Amino acid sequence: MELLIASSSVADAGIGCWDLESGAEQLRYKSCASPPHGLACVGQRFLASSQLREQPSASSGSILYWSWSKPQVEVKSLPAEPIKPIAANSHGTYIAGGGQSGDIYMWEVASGRLLKKWHAHYRAVTCLVFSQDGSFLISGSEDGCVRIWSLLTVFEECESQRASHLYLHSFTGHTLRITDIVIGYGGVSATIVSASEDRTCKVWSLLKGRLLRNIVFPSVIDAIALDPAEHVFYAGSRDGSIYIAALNAESPSTSSYGMHIIGSLSDHSKAVTCLAYSTGDLLISGSEDGMVRVWDPITHNIVRMFRLAKGPVNNILVVRRPLYLNLGSFSNPHTSSRRHGSQLPPPLDKYVTSADEDVDNKGVIRLPSLYNAPRDASYISHRTIDNHLKELQQQGSSAATEMEVERLKHECNRTLQMVQQWKKMYENLHEFCVNELLDGDQVDGSKRNAV
Amino acid sequence: MARSKAASKKQQKQQQKRGVDFKKIKRKLGRKLPPPKNATNTEVKSKAIVLPEQSVASEKAGLAVSKKGLTLKELLQQTSHHNSKVRRDALMGLKDLFQKYPAELRSHRYAVIEKLRERIGDDDKVVRETLYQLLKTVVFPGCKEDNQGPFVSLMVAYIFNAMTHLAVDVRLMAFKFFDLVVQYYPPSFSLYADKVLQNYEDILRKNQFYLEDKAKLRSALAGLVRCLSLLPCNKRKVDSSEENMAGQKILHAFELDMPAESSGFSSITKKLKDLVPVLVNCFQDFFPSVHHMPLLDAQSFDCMHSILQSIDLVVGFFGYGIHQGKPASQLSYEGPDEAIWDHTISSLLLKKLFGVFPLNPTNHLSEKVDDRFFILNIVITEIFLRCSEWICPPGFLLEKFLQYIENALLGSVRPAVTHGPVKQFGRNIYFFCCLLFQSLCCKWQVIGSLVFFSNCGANHNNGILQAFTKIFEGCNPQSSLKLACLSAIEEMLIPGDDMVYPDASDPLFEYQITWIRALPQLLILLGDKHPSSSQVVLHLLLRLGQCANSSSPFSREYENMQYSLDKFYSSCVDRGDVYYGPFIRLSWDSQELAICGLYYFSNLGPFLLKSIAFCCLCSELEHLVLFRIIEVLHSAFSAGHIQIADYISFFMTLLSRFKVLPENIYPDVESDAKISNRGTFKLLTNTVCSCLSRIGDDSLVFQILEQVIFDQLLLKPPLDNACALLRVLVVLDCKPTRLSEQGIITLSKYLSGYLFEVVHCIPEDDEENSLPTHQQTCCYYMLPCFFLFDRSPKLLKLVLNLMGSLITESSSSPSSHSYTQYGNDNSNQINAVVSALLLMHKDTKVRKIISSFKEEVVHILQIIHSLQWYTIMLDNF
Repeated sequence: MELLIASSSVADAGIGCWDLESGAEQLRYKSCASPPHGLACVGQRFLASSQLREQPSASSGSILYWSWSKPQVEVKSLPAEPIKPIAANSHGTYIAGGGQSGDIYMWEVASGRLLKKWHAHYRAVTCLVFSQDGSFLISGSEDGCVRIWSLLTVFEECESQRASHLYLHSFTGHTLRITDIVIGYGGVSATIVSASEDRTCKVWSLLKGRLLRNIVFPSVIDAIALDPAEHVFYAGSRDGSIYIAALNAESPSTSSYGMHIIGSLSDHSKAVTCLAYSTGDLLISGSEDGMVRVWDPITHNIVRMFRLAKGPVNNILVVRRPLYLNLGSFSNPHTSSRRHGSQLPPPLDKYVTSADEDVDNKGVIRLPSLYNAPRDASYISHRTIDNHLKELQQQGSSAATEMEVERLKHECNRTLQMVQQWKKMYENLHEFCVNELLDGDQVDGSKRNAV
Repeated sequence: MARSKAASKKQQKQQQKRGVDFKKIKRKLGRKLPPPKNATNTEVKSKAIVLPEQSVASEKAGLAVSKKGLTLKELLQQTSHHNSKVRRDALMGLKDLFQKYPAELRSHRYAVIEKLRERIGDDDKVVRETLYQLLKTVVFPGCKEDNQGPFVSLMVAYIFNAMTHLAVDVRLMAFKFFDLVVQYYPPSFSLYADKVLQNYEDILRKNQFYLEDKAKLRSALAGLVRCLSLLPCNKRKVDSSEENMAGQKILHAFELDMPAESSGFSSITKKLKDLVPVLVNCFQDFFPSVHHMPLLDAQSFDCMHSILQSIDLVVGFFGYGIHQGKPASQLSYEGPDEAIWDHTISSLLLKKLFGVFPLNPTNHLSEKVDDRFFILNIVITEIFLRCSEWICPPGFLLEKFLQYIENALLGSVRPAVTHGPVKQFGRNIYFFCCLLFQSLCCKWQVIGSLVFFSNCGANHNNGILQAFTKIFEGCNPQSSLKLACLSAIEEMLIPGDDMVYPDASDPLFEYQITWIRALPQLLILLGDKHPSSSQVVLHLLLRLGQCANSSSPFSREYENMQYSLDKFYSSCVDRGDVYYGPFIRLSWDSQELAICGLYYFSNLGPFLLKSIAFCCLCSELEHLVLFRIIEVLHSAFSAGHIQIADYISFFMTLLSRFKVLPENIYPDVESDAKISNRGTFKLLTNTVCSCLSRIGDDSLVFQILEQVIFDQLLLKPPLDNACALLRVLVVLDCKPTRLSEQGIITLSKYLSGYLFEVVHCIPEDDEENSLPTHQQTCCYYMLPCFFLFDRSPKLLKLVLNLMGSLITESSSSPSSHSYTQYGNDNSNQINAVVSALLLMHKDTKVRKIISSFKEEVVHILQIIHSLQWYTIMLDNF
């Protein structure tokens, strides 16, 4: 049971949502104009999308939340600067956003706090990807640079101060804007594929931090999707076809497209803008003409087509249908919305809160339970526990007050002792001085007598 | 057998008959006793063993022999002969043999090396020399492509044995042998590093031996330098070597050499630490000879140079280890900084090496000696710079070094580098300086805030920068010095990992601006004759563009660069006379870099766009590059780096000015078809159309474009360009047309002429529809018109009316209308109209529309009819 979610840069199209198996359209979420890589499904709980600015003069963009059951925007956050790409880790604990100035922002979803903001690139960040296990963040930028951030290093204060740079690796092989990045399975030894406007896709090794393969395509590649077995990857190009490039063995050099490119899927449409791969062995592509096509990658045929908008499709996500979300809740959104109304987390903060507040502000995260319908799932932050403790102390039993009295008594005794001590010292000093003076006089007197 | 017996009996009888004279003793005849049963057979049967004749010629006919006629086996045996002369001759013979028969070496290489290795520790000097030559010239080059691991391991044991030989000569020679091995099989150093370094340490300790024999020592030290240079000391170099591996065929290949190397280097840190004091002492031992002898002879100079280089490399390796040990990288070395860099070494270097700096010749005798001292000083400076990060040198020392660098850069230390054969040498020295400077500036950014640089370094920094800038501006654009300067500049311009830009108050900033401004000029000066240098400059420009965002202080400089870069693409000298810059003739890589650089101008102005457009129109430009330019400009446009008006006018220029060759659509000659760029132009039209339609709101774009295209059309461009412009119009238009009233009228005037032209360009034989390609071509030119007619029937009506009136006009006053250049006489004109109508009729969709305008068509036919009647009448008269 998978859902296909697609958004467009045209505001009136909204976010389309289809059942991949039956092809039935579900709810359409309204008023979303997302940039490329600006749509994320946060831990299967809700949808988040950064927004294109309505007019270029507007100083800040926004990030919107939709809950599954309601087509209207529920939460709106206003970050400090326009955010284009966003990404959430697989559990939905964090949201990362890339700013126009090259900064990366990291928010905690449950509390909405901005945990960290750091300068990552010279130019605007164009795409952000979390690794499968959520321990690495990979960012691509307009200046053609791909950087890999280990979240451990980013958040450890001392680690980040000792190192000359925060990033784990910096790949500067591309000459133009990075258009897409995907990362394979395999934790630390995963393979990363990046696509750029310089018509190349490059395959990198996360472990070794170096280039493994460079593939030159006949046109600019705007989107890539990785085959689950990682034998090939699919590259959606601006000339409208989806190229298939080999990832393991050497392909015969007789290929008509170029080195390492095995074949292509094409239906002579407009430029391919985004790609996704579903677990049901389907390749899904979004095109500039507003259509979402579902391909069978083996037979190279189109299985289904969905129409999203007149403008280009920007983002495609394939997510597992949340279990508690049956079709019923889609059909009568009004009743369910009342129930779900306040379940979404608070909006994201604009600025990093000061450091001392951070100390006792660690979120306590409950792992999402798969089987229980998490209707009442809410996040409890560390602060609530602190409050509990405080309350307990304040309400506290008589024993606590007694302890307090004892403590005060003790204190009183100690101070009294101190006073005694000081008095003694003063007396001693006084005596000493008097003696000195008297002795001096006597000596003077004797001297005078001698003279 | 039986027969032969019988024959022999006969002979016996004859003999008996003949020998009558001689009394024959009669023997008693009778039966012999049968042999006893237990008798032993005493007969011995034997067969001859045939040894083939011992002949020199026949034996060695098929075998490989040396000049002296000895085989490989014999020669190998002779190598262990007790007479040294025989041994030497045998080695010579082997060399001779292998040179003649390389296959012999390949098949017997293990046997050969097993025999030869015994001679590494030979007592005789000449034999060792000969062996060295044999190995160097024949054996190693011959076995290069094979798996060398086992081959080398066979030798190394004997080499180490020789390294501990009693005779110093043998020991020194052994180092030379090891050098040879490393030269051909570099991993062998990392495998045996521990032992080799130990041996070097031992031999250098006993310095009294070798001061006499400097030539030997020199070669041994050269070997040490070679070994140490295999240590990873420069992160950048390691990176670049890895970049080259990207072309490997298998993505997830098993890597064999990796573990051996990495484990080899981390374990020898201690050995290297022991080596440094020995080297420094050794260097000091040379001191007296420097000061007392009037001339610094070549051998001691080479020794000293090698020693210093070795120290430099070791220090570099320590530095690399420290950098590697940082937590950000995964490969961590075994300890914190202190473990690698301890204070005994730093104090030693401070006292014994930096204390004596700079070395000065006692008396200025010759330039050569001065040069030698200069080189030594430079290496010391390099060592100093390398380790100044970890040892905090006292201020006066730093002062001394900075002063020296400044003087060196300014050339006051060596004023005479510019003439004669010394020139090349001088360049090398300058090259050195730049490297030094580069490393200096690296550190600058890292420890820019450190007190000692700000205290005593500031005034020198300024001086050094000034001197550097002077060199950079003064040197020849093609020289390697310029390249070195460029890489130094890249180091200083591109902010490092911390991404901090210098602020305007920094003295560095001023110089950085100067360098940036010099780059476009340099690019133009380089022209197309020095592609590698151009590529370096272009790469630097690209890097600069990548990090020049709006917050960077360089962004304004980068923006301004477009006013000086135009000559790189093309420039208009006079009206219509275009001078093409070096861009067109550069290699594809460089062009790609240049094009990518365009993307990063935050406001790409019409000035540079114009010059790029001229470049695009040049027929020499590869069409792939042309499309790449359009692609990148589109990216730049969508990122908001180009104004929409500039962008559109760029495309309009391309479409209206592109020269399609050859002029006529159907080339008569085959060669014409080959050079035709019509296909390119069609592709260009498509690309431009898709770019324009991707801008966004089509109706707005159409409004902008409508007037522009009409203006261009009224200038009467060639047929192909006109067709392209019409196609753009069609792509942006939609079914109920977006054309304005005025527009339709203007367009109808043009289209009637255009149709005539199209029809005229199609040869007569086309009417038979013989060739499908002709039809296709025809379709290509007519199609935009058909679309326009489909969307606006009014346009068709106007066009038909105009056609009709054209005929009457031309009949009344030929040559009055400008479109009649093809139809001076009426018949031509009529022909054209008729075939145009026929073409329209062929298309089903247009036929439908045309059917609603029967009146107009009938009107035209009437006119034609009346004209025909008129002409017939005339003929009759």
